[in-house]
Amino acid sequence: MLRQRMAALLNAPQIGLVGVIVTLGILLSVFAGNFEKQGRTVNVFLNPDSLLQIGSDASFFAIMAVGMTVVIISGGIDLSVGSIYALCGVLTAIFLRSQPALTGEDPSFAQLSVSGAVCVGLGLACGVLNGVLVSRLRVHPFIITLGTMWVFRGIAFVASKGLSINFPEGLTGVLKATLGLEKGLFPVPLLLMVLVTALGAIYLGRTLWGRQVYAVGGNEEASRYAGLPIARIQTWVYALNGLLAGVAAFAGSAFYGAASSADATGYELFVIASAVVGGASLIGGKGTALGAMLGALLIVMIRQAIRILHFDQNYESIVIGCAVVIAVVLDQASGRFRMGRMAK
Amino acid sequence: MTPILEIKGVTKRYPGVIALDSVDIAVGEGSVHALMGENGAGKSTLGKVICGLVHPDGGTVLLNGQPMKFSDPGEAVRAGIGMVHQELLFCENLSVEENLSLGDVPRHGMFVDRLEMSRRAHAALERIGVNVDTGARLGALPVAVQQMVQIAGAVAKGARVLIFDEPTSSLSHSESERLFELIDQLKADGVTCIYISHRMNEIFRLCDTISVLRDGRHVVTRPASELDHDSLVKAMIGRELEDAGEHDATIGEVALSVAGLESPGKFRGVSFELRNGEILGLAGLVGAGRTEVLEAIFGLDPAVRGEIRVHGSSLGTGRVGKAIDRRVGMVPEDRKRHGLVLGMRIRENETLPILPRLAKLGFVQTRNERETARKYFDRLRIRAPGLESVTAGLSGGNQQKVVLAKWLAAECDVLMVDEPTRGVDVGAKSEIHEILRELTVAGKAVLMVSSELPELIKISDRILVFRGGEIVGEVSRAEASEERLIRLMTGV
Repeated sequence: MLRQRMAALLNAPQIGLVGVIVTLGILLSVFAGNFEKQGRTVNVFLNPDSLLQIGSDASFFAIMAVGMTVVIISGGIDLSVGSIYALCGVLTAIFLRSQPALTGEDPSFAQLSVSGAVCVGLGLACGVLNGVLVSRLRVHPFIITLGTMWVFRGIAFVASKGLSINFPEGLTGVLKATLGLEKGLFPVPLLLMVLVTALGAIYLGRTLWGRQVYAVGGNEEASRYAGLPIARIQTWVYALNGLLAGVAAFAGSAFYGAASSADATGYELFVIASAVVGGASLIGGKGTALGAMLGALLIVMIRQAIRILHFDQNYESIVIGCAVVIAVVLDQASGRFRMGRMAK
Repeated sequence: MTPILEIKGVTKRYPGVIALDSVDIAVGEGSVHALMGENGAGKSTLGKVICGLVHPDGGTVLLNGQPMKFSDPGEAVRAGIGMVHQELLFCENLSVEENLSLGDVPRHGMFVDRLEMSRRAHAALERIGVNVDTGARLGALPVAVQQMVQIAGAVAKGARVLIFDEPTSSLSHSESERLFELIDQLKADGVTCIYISHRMNEIFRLCDTISVLRDGRHVVTRPASELDHDSLVKAMIGRELEDAGEHDATIGEVALSVAGLESPGKFRGVSFELRNGEILGLAGLVGAGRTEVLEAIFGLDPAVRGEIRVHGSSLGTGRVGKAIDRRVGMVPEDRKRHGLVLGMRIRENETLPILPRLAKLGFVQTRNERETARKYFDRLRIRAPGLESVTAGLSGGNQQKVVLAKWLAAECDVLMVDEPTRGVDVGAKSEIHEILRELTVAGKAVLMVSSELPELIKISDRILVFRGGEIVGEVSRAEASEERLIRLMTGV
């Protein structure tokens, strides 16, 4: 029984990615060196502060990567997530500014729930728009979401007049709650990421709707012949992705205390990269929520590695670009290797 | 007859299976040599070894006594071996003449020599007596014509040996006949043809010599005149084929009735009734509207007008989900495109249409799902390592069984099957016929489209004949003969 469990674990598709992350972590711990803090020797990488830093940096686009993975599994793509993020953040900030009752410095349930609902609802609305356009117009989602990417960000720019708008300190307080940890440690975004990933994994792996998303991405025609409501499923995956962009926007804007139309510029590519590094196939039909989260973590870790190891930060883009391609090539190679072994 | 091609001890292993196990076959020059066997017997693999697409792990292929070792199909073509593939391997977006020049484009310096290209294409097509507009986009031509172009290309490149892999699998009756004439003509010109097929009639019509493979082994090679249908089947499946015999289902109430069904450009005035316990066959040429009628009943044609009733109450049109809820199922003609999500497991494919029935509050009830899938997996004797095998790796016959299992699991009262045994080996074919009969004994109704007349005659209770989108005749089981059906189908 235990051996079976172990074997199943070793055959899990994410095992390679976990291996890479752990290896990178060990290398960083070894080569980063130590520093003195309040009389104690602390590893530059392997300390709660640095680890949580990676966690929160990754969390905002890991949350979107889970949604993006669902879109990619269905055979689609969504370039507008970064813009949805900015639009949700900006409009929520404007809404809050107009509601004096909700701008308190102390966290309140009303403040959290109303602003959260507004932000997530806006994301959902943007996603539904994408979904309806993609499923009704029968134009490739790359084109549709390329268009909405500019439109959403444009609306955010016009609405905010290009200015950064503050989020109430009460919300920042919630997102930066230490939950009993040391001062200066912020675990909330990380927990949110884990929660979204878990819900995403359950949705994809256990529910009827998740299975239908895999089927539509695997073979849309065969799914039509099996009676699946294709247009509804497609609309729903973009809606879900928009909703998660709204969640990320809420968490991110509250965490940093402000929203602007320039937020999350270029995030769509990080998000797609995370999904793909996490094993999602752009042909559709393949991918996991856990993979998306791990992919996001890996990308942030690589970025962090450049800082910790004091490499020239100007090379960051080059390193990340190479790492993404290498990760996907390795993932495919290991997939072939596993297939070969399973066939025997 | 001197052998032009000798296959000696050819072995090919794939992970988990031996596709070819030291096969020895000699092919006589100028003959038409059949390679037969069930799906997975290794015939296509052998074809690919001969034309250089697959490298054997052991053994040699001799051409005119010279051992050949091709590192790519281009070398095989230069050595005089061409292949006409099951799935056409051409660029559909390019024109006929561009396709015929692929890999060897005539040039003026850095520019394409269009005139020379066109001249070559005309010469190639003329040589096999086919008249095609060489400027037409290949994908816009009928499959049969595309195939002719492929043959013309191989012959023009000097092929002395031509391998045909299931060439008639997507051709109509008359198109197949034209292909056979072409093969006869090639033979008269001294070209050796290796013909891979399941279809007995074709083999006996065309071939001089027959080699049978079973589980990767060479079983027998004999002149066609020394074999008959039964001995050939026995060699292929290794046992006598039991004939399912007459079925004794009782014909009951009307299960499906269709009145005045019409879809612009596809069919019109289609009315018929299908009763419980009955197998109703639909005969007709390709394009006569049979498949289109099934699709319309199943809710895949939004433009259809007319009345469809299931057990007396109206079904409506244009919604597949509704049809499935009313226990109507459809096994489509093209299982890879429409029947299966190839990347998914057998279990997932089997339960795809009925997932809402197997879920509570959106959560798939895993145990329930597995039991349902297991039941039909066992009942149809699907040969696969298990329920969790990915369907892409199964043979055609087993894939078809998964599609059937899917609709049996949906507990259909009315099952529509479109070419249910196309590309399926003899063993699986008789099993599929048996399953259809069992369904009728259980009181279900079956509507079957098939282009294989013996199959239609053998298992249908009644046959409706389609021509040009209309029903032109009804033939009872007792009156049915191939000749009668062909007359009705072609209108002569």
